[in-house]
Amino acid sequence: MLAETAFVTPATPYHPGEEAAVPARSQIGLHAAKLGLQGGAFAVFALVLLIFALSSPIFLSPFNLGNILAQSAISGVLAIGLTVVIIAGGGNVVTGGIDLSLAANMGLSAAVYASLSQAGQPDAVAAGAALATGLVIGAVNAVAVTRFAIVPLLATLAVMNIVGGLELVLTQNTVIPAVTPLLETLSGAGPLGVPVLAYGLIGFALVTALAVQATPLGLRIQAVGSFPEAARASGLAVNRFVAGSFLFSGLSGGLAGIFSAAYLSGSTTGAGELLLPVVVTALLGPVFSRRLVPSITGTLLSALFVGVLINGFQLLNLSSTLVSGIQGLLILLVVSATTLLKRKEG
Amino acid sequence: MTTPPSDTIIRLDGIEKSFGGAKALSGVSLAIERGTVHGLVGQNGAGKSTLIKLLAGLHQPDAGTIEIDGQRLTHITPHAVESLGIHFIHQDRLLVPTFTVGEALFLGREPRIAGTPFLDRRQMQRRAREVLQRYFGLSLPNSALIADLSTAEKQIVQITRALLDQPKVLVFDEPTAALVKREADLLFQLIRRLREDGITVIYISHYLQEIEALCDRVTVLRNGRDVATKALSETSASEIAGLMVNREIGDLFPVREKAPGEPLLTVDRLSAPGRYHDVSLTLHRGEVLGLIGLLGSGAKEFLRTLFGLETAASGTVTVQGQAPWQASPVQAARRRLALVPEDRRRHGVALDLSVKENTTLASLSRFTRLGLIDRTAEESETDRLITRLQVKTEGREALLRTLSGGNQQKVAIAKWLSRQSDIYLLDEPTVGVDIAAKVEIYALIAELAEKGAGVIVLSSDLNELIGLTDRILIFFRGEILRTVTSETATVDALLADVTGSSELTRHAG
Repeated sequence: MLAETAFVTPATPYHPGEEAAVPARSQIGLHAAKLGLQGGAFAVFALVLLIFALSSPIFLSPFNLGNILAQSAISGVLAIGLTVVIIAGGGNVVTGGIDLSLAANMGLSAAVYASLSQAGQPDAVAAGAALATGLVIGAVNAVAVTRFAIVPLLATLAVMNIVGGLELVLTQNTVIPAVTPLLETLSGAGPLGVPVLAYGLIGFALVTALAVQATPLGLRIQAVGSFPEAARASGLAVNRFVAGSFLFSGLSGGLAGIFSAAYLSGSTTGAGELLLPVVVTALLGPVFSRRLVPSITGTLLSALFVGVLINGFQLLNLSSTLVSGIQGLLILLVVSATTLLKRKEG
Repeated sequence: MTTPPSDTIIRLDGIEKSFGGAKALSGVSLAIERGTVHGLVGQNGAGKSTLIKLLAGLHQPDAGTIEIDGQRLTHITPHAVESLGIHFIHQDRLLVPTFTVGEALFLGREPRIAGTPFLDRRQMQRRAREVLQRYFGLSLPNSALIADLSTAEKQIVQITRALLDQPKVLVFDEPTAALVKREADLLFQLIRRLREDGITVIYISHYLQEIEALCDRVTVLRNGRDVATKALSETSASEIAGLMVNREIGDLFPVREKAPGEPLLTVDRLSAPGRYHDVSLTLHRGEVLGLIGLLGSGAKEFLRTLFGLETAASGTVTVQGQAPWQASPVQAARRRLALVPEDRRRHGVALDLSVKENTTLASLSRFTRLGLIDRTAEESETDRLITRLQVKTEGREALLRTLSGGNQQKVAIAKWLSRQSDIYLLDEPTVGVDIAAKVEIYALIAELAEKGAGVIVLSSDLNELIGLTDRILIFFRGEILRTVTSETATVDALLADVTGSSELTRHAG
């Protein structure tokens, strides 16, 4: 009997009891850590809301809340684009999906929109051109990453600089004002007095969330990102999904460009400063999701969280340098926590 | 089982395949009958995995034909094979860890809510529950993620995935390697059920008793040829074992003066709970010791402990009378130990460095004069080892990436040989190299011993152990079951001990 056991089960542990007990214990610890990270994120969010509400009387006013949403709209749309890239490219911070060109993309798209409007083009042409600009930038990223196999971190870093340069050429580093019916509508207030931009963000998030979290396409994108070998074994063309994710993030850059033109009544310089908040938002997203994976709803919540932080600091008259310091700190915290968890999961 | 014997679903004829000059398959013919469980056995390097990769469309054969259901395949792609109803259950379970069971099962063919582009999650969950219950009597919570499942459950999910495509043939590649007994039993029941449902199963395994218990017919591969195909009703595990072993390679091994000298390495009651227990041994100068044991027997873990890659809980390791130490690789190297790891491509060589750089990397201090590398000495040592090991390369400056796997392996061995250590720990030194290279490696090991080094060889090639070593330590379930003198050892007795089917273990149990 013993002999047979040994033959059939090559991996029978020498002391089965001990072997089994160790992973079980560390599993429980892992679950606790995950729950802590998630619960902690929501607790921190609630705490931040509470502190700002107590320390600033206007924080909870409908006007201010609407303002937070409007402010978050631009970085939120970009962060959602970035999240799709991260989902399809995998969460590895170095080799996984990332699109650093998004903020520059938004800047160029806004500049394209503003320039065309100033040149007397109708809204449809200007908006179409802004979206097309974003899409082309996404296509360049897609080709660099899938065709030439450059890691996204480097490919999009290079594209970021090219796009930033193009924006300088186009605008001569000046502000291009634009006042068009589309921009006026977007920057105005919609139903319930909530800014239209806020509806834009929520609408965009909703459509993307449905596509990513409720369709076969979305499930496949998730599979491609989290385990490309498994996706390939399921007959999925991995590179096409990755390329598609960059096209989508490019398009979100174009959309954010229009939003930004609306919010700032034209195109301004310094779009690159938005990169850090966008990356923070996307990386923070997983702690607001159930499985601790990047998700659109998680990123939306995280966009609001970052928006609340920035708004609250403004209300409390804290310097903006402090804000970017805190954002950097958040990146370090979240990335190290999730990386450690992943390493434990093996 | 009532199908007539002439009903062949897969026919391979005269399949040949070489990799970088090394012949992996030299004429394999195989006929697999519909509705049977067909075993495929052979020692490491016999050609099993190459054959399966050819069938899966991952490699193209150099010669020979593959016929499936009477249809001759000209260009074999993974997709073509799958569309003919042949599915592979790979050793590494290809499932997305963050997915639920339903998502993992239906990835790539997701059900939608009628008339919408949206996933029908409820249907996915319901059907996942249904099929898992129907095929395997397994019920998993809807919310269970792949990462939360046991190895066996993951395997079941993967098999179920394949079953959803209504396959004609399922190929299992070493499916029990990571399962415990209860899980393996479940798998066997399941495979019998598949056969009752008319599915043909190809079953690849090292474990002969699995083959005996499960298969209708078995094909034995040896040195890239099919040496026999037998009905299990007409053969036995011991006959199969005999067929697996090549009995005509005695003169592969160099004759060596066997005169062990002073003790070099003494291990006293080394224990690591859950891995191995109370292992003691002494290695002398000029001696070649063999270690053998199945996966999980503790032999590999023990060897890795000697070099400090794993830690022991108790016991001591002493080198040449120096103070015992808890080894770390740095200290082990300082005490003139060298380890050639099994997974050389991952741990042993740097693919983007040249043959020369790889060879001298671990022993640069030998080639350094006044802080600078002495290129002439480095180059002549590399050339010497290239010739000595007959490494097939364009020259010492060729990048390792350009060499075949077997030749990369030789370079990995050369790297440690050029260190001139006292104690060599070799983990499966000849896996994946062709027979000519094996002979070179054997000669080299013999030479090391003759020059006064001590060598410990862990190998699953029984002939190699008997031909090469002075003594063989047999690991079984974490202990040294016994030590045999190589001169008197036989392959059959070793095989029986290693697999636990010998009389001794039966009594011990």
